[in-house]
Amino acid sequence: MYAICDVSDEPMTEVVEGLTSTEHAAVTLSADEFQSMLVDVLPALYRYAFRLTRNRADAEDLVQDTALRAFRAMAQFEPGTNFKAWIFRILTRGFWANHRRGQRRPNTVDFDDTPDLYLYARSAEHGLQWRGEDPAHALIDRLGAERVAEAIGQLPEEYGVVCTLCFLEEFAYHEVADVLEVPVGTVRSRLHRGRKMLQKALWYLAQEAGIVNELSKREAKA
Amino acid sequence: MTPLSRYTCEEAFRRLDDYLDHELSAEEMELVREHLEICAGCAREFNFERSVIQGVEEKLQQIDLPDTLQSRILKLLNDQRR
Repeated sequence: MYAICDVSDEPMTEVVEGLTSTEHAAVTLSADEFQSMLVDVLPALYRYAFRLTRNRADAEDLVQDTALRAFRAMAQFEPGTNFKAWIFRILTRGFWANHRRGQRRPNTVDFDDTPDLYLYARSAEHGLQWRGEDPAHALIDRLGAERVAEAIGQLPEEYGVVCTLCFLEEFAYHEVADVLEVPVGTVRSRLHRGRKMLQKALWYLAQEAGIVNELSKREAKA
Repeated sequence: MTPLSRYTCEEAFRRLDDYLDHELSAEEMELVREHLEICAGCAREFNFERSVIQGVEEKLQQIDLPDTLQSRILKLLNDQRR
């Protein structure tokens, strides 16, 4: 469970330190402007929190905690810069600072040396062709939202977070770098590797659920 | 490499992720696009990868903000302002 910390009487902690969006924020947000911008990003923020915590109650706590921390740190945000990346960064820091490591689903897939085009190659091996329906779409559609989220949850955390930010919110690489406070090159390499791992996790889940068999049989009959 | 493409398959493939994520320069995007127009094998692989990404995005985005969360947060922030 996400270990939410009570920030009600807490001074600024490391979670919001150094969050100034520029060196000196000459103009600051008003509380009303902050609330309006927060409302705009709240659905995205919740989706991200849910993917990190994989639990509705913990996601709600994490978003609430983030909103409060961001509100108290809003003087550090310069209007005109990327509010969404700024508040996602606060949420990410809060999550990493508080969640207990080792609670992710035990990884059942060996991700070492996963080749490129993993899903494409395995689909072809199993005779899943492009007869009418796109095989990637057919596979993922049958897997459903929960298993897709489970597949991302199986990735080593640093890869899963990058994939979540790119897939879920379609952040550009430099925005993900900004949220995670890592170089753009790190985002690029983690995303590349993360996508390969994700394809392998999706394939194993599809096999486990009998989806590969179902699609193979359908193709054989066609 | 086909004679009409300025990128080889390998050069195009190396840019697959960046191409799908629109992270290439306009010139590089055009060079990859040009390769895909005349290389059916690469086009098939790129389309498959795009389809995987779109499918995952679609599934992950199927989650709505809980009804009361926004109002609870705004109340909390209003309390802070007092």
